Amino acid sequence: MAKSDDCLHILQGLLVFGNVVIGMCGIALTAECIYFVSDPNGLYSLLKATENSDIYAAAWIGIFVGLALFALSILGIIGVIKASRTLLLLYIILMVITFAFEMASCITAATGQDSLTPELFQKKMLERYQKSEPANNSDREVTKTWDEFMLQNHCCGVKGPSDWQEYTSAFRVTHSDADYPWPRMCCVLDAKGLPVNLDGCKLGVSGYYNSNGCYDAISGPVSTHAWGVAWFGFAILCWTFCVLLGTMFYWSGIEY
Amino acid sequence: QLGYKPELTREPPLEGVTTASTFVLDQPRCVFTDYGNADIWLVVALDQAASTFNNSEGPGTAATAFQSFPDPVRAYMTLNATLGSYPCPKRDGDITVLRVGSETSCAQDTTRPTCNGPLPHPGPYRVKFLALQGSEPVAETAWSVPITLRQAKSPDSIPTTGSGHSAGMIAITTILSILFAILLAGLVAMLVFWGSGSCSGSSAFSKPEAVSVRRYNTHHVYDQPAARL
Repeated sequence: MAKSDDCLHILQGLLVFGNVVIGMCGIALTAECIYFVSDPNGLYSLLKATENSDIYAAAWIGIFVGLALFALSILGIIGVIKASRTLLLLYIILMVITFAFEMASCITAATGQDSLTPELFQKKMLERYQKSEPANNSDREVTKTWDEFMLQNHCCGVKGPSDWQEYTSAFRVTHSDADYPWPRMCCVLDAKGLPVNLDGCKLGVSGYYNSNGCYDAISGPVSTHAWGVAWFGFAILCWTFCVLLGTMFYWSGIEY
Repeated sequence: QLGYKPELTREPPLEGVTTASTFVLDQPRCVFTDYGNADIWLVVALDQAASTFNNSEGPGTAATAFQSFPDPVRAYMTLNATLGSYPCPKRDGDITVLRVGSETSCAQDTTRPTCNGPLPHPGPYRVKFLALQGSEPVAETAWSVPITLRQAKSPDSIPTTGSGHSAGMIAITTILSILFAILLAGLVAMLVFWGSGSCSGSSAFSKPEAVSVRRYNTHHVYDQPAARL
C-alpha cells in the first residue's frame, strides 16, 4: 500500500506542478497577445488594407485562451488534490476544447505570416494609395496610414521610390510624373512638413529623399508578432498535451 | 562642332536620373568657353530625326515648338542659357544638372514654344547643345547616345501567388493535429470506460478519505485494572 501511495503522491505532485506551469503560461500568453493587439507599431491598418490581418485574429484568440488556461489550471489543481472524478472529467473536456482553439490560433498565426510578401503590399499600395475616384473610406484610410508610416519610419514605398516609377498606380493618375516622380512623403521634410529641398527630392539626390523601402519596417515587427503567438502557443500546447495525458491516466486510476 | 557629348548625370548617382517623362543631363561646363556672347540651347530630338535636324531652325518658332512635339515637330529647342549660367570651372560639391521635362505649367501653352515640358513617350531621344549668336549657329556639341526613359508596367503584373508554406507552419500543423487526435482518442476511451473497471487496476489509487476510527470500549479494557488489583 505504501508503494502505491508514493506513486499516487508523485503523480499528484507532477500534475499539480504541470497545472501551475500551465496557469503561468496562460497568463504570459494573455499578456503577450494583449501587447500585440495594442499594436505599438501602428501596423494594423496597413495589414487590414492588404486583407492580411489574420495575425490579429490569432492574437485575439490567444488572449481568451490564455485566460481559459489559467482558470482551468486552477480547476485542475483542485480536481487532482481532491481526486474527484467529475471535476477531473470536466477539466479534461474543457481543456480539450481550449486546446482546439489554441491550435487554431497557432496555425492561423503561422499561415498569416507566410502569406505576407512584399509583392502583396506593393500591389495593394499601388492600387489604393491616393486613389481619387472612386474614393471610399477604406482607400482614404490606406492613404493616411501609408503617409503616417512613411513619415515615421523615413521610408518610401514598399521596396523603394522606384515602386512608383516601375509601375503605374492610382497615385500616378492624379499626379504627373514630372512633378511627382514619387509622393511628397518620400522627401525629407522639415518641421513644418514641407520638403527641405523639393528639387533635390524630385531629382533623387541622396539626403533629400528617403531611398529605402518600408517593407523591412513592416516585416520585422509582424514576424516577431506572428512567431511569438505561433511558437509560444505551440510550446504551451505540447506541455498541456503531456499534462492532459497524465490527468487521463490519473483519472482512470481513481477508485469510484 | 565641339567634341563634347551630352550625357546623363552619373555623378552624383540620382534616383530620378530617368523617370517616365524626364531625364537629367550634366550641364555643359567648360565647353562653350570661346563663345561668351552666345545663347546656349538644348536640342531634344527623336532618335531617327537627329541626323536630319537643321541648325538654322530658330528657337521659339513653330518648327521647334515643344507643344507640337513629337508630331509634326520632331525636334524642339529649350533650356536657353548664357555662358554665365555655366561657370567654368565647376565648383566642387555643386550639383550641376539640367532636368529635361521639369516644367509642367507650360506644357500646353502654345505661347511658350521653348517650354521645358515633360516628354510624351519613353523615346529614345537624342540631345545636343547648340550655341546661337543672334540667330546664327556658331557652335554645337555632338549628339548624345540615344536616351530611353522608364516605362511603367501595370501593377496587375506583380506576381502575388503565395510564397508557399514554410517548414515551420507545416510542422506546427502536423504535430498539433496528431496531438489533438491523441487527446480526442484518450477522451473517448475515458468516456467509454467510465464506471466500468479501470485499465490500471482498481486498487492502484485510493481516495484519501478521512477514515474515522471509532474507539470501541469493550469490557476487557475496563476489566484490566480490576484484574491487576
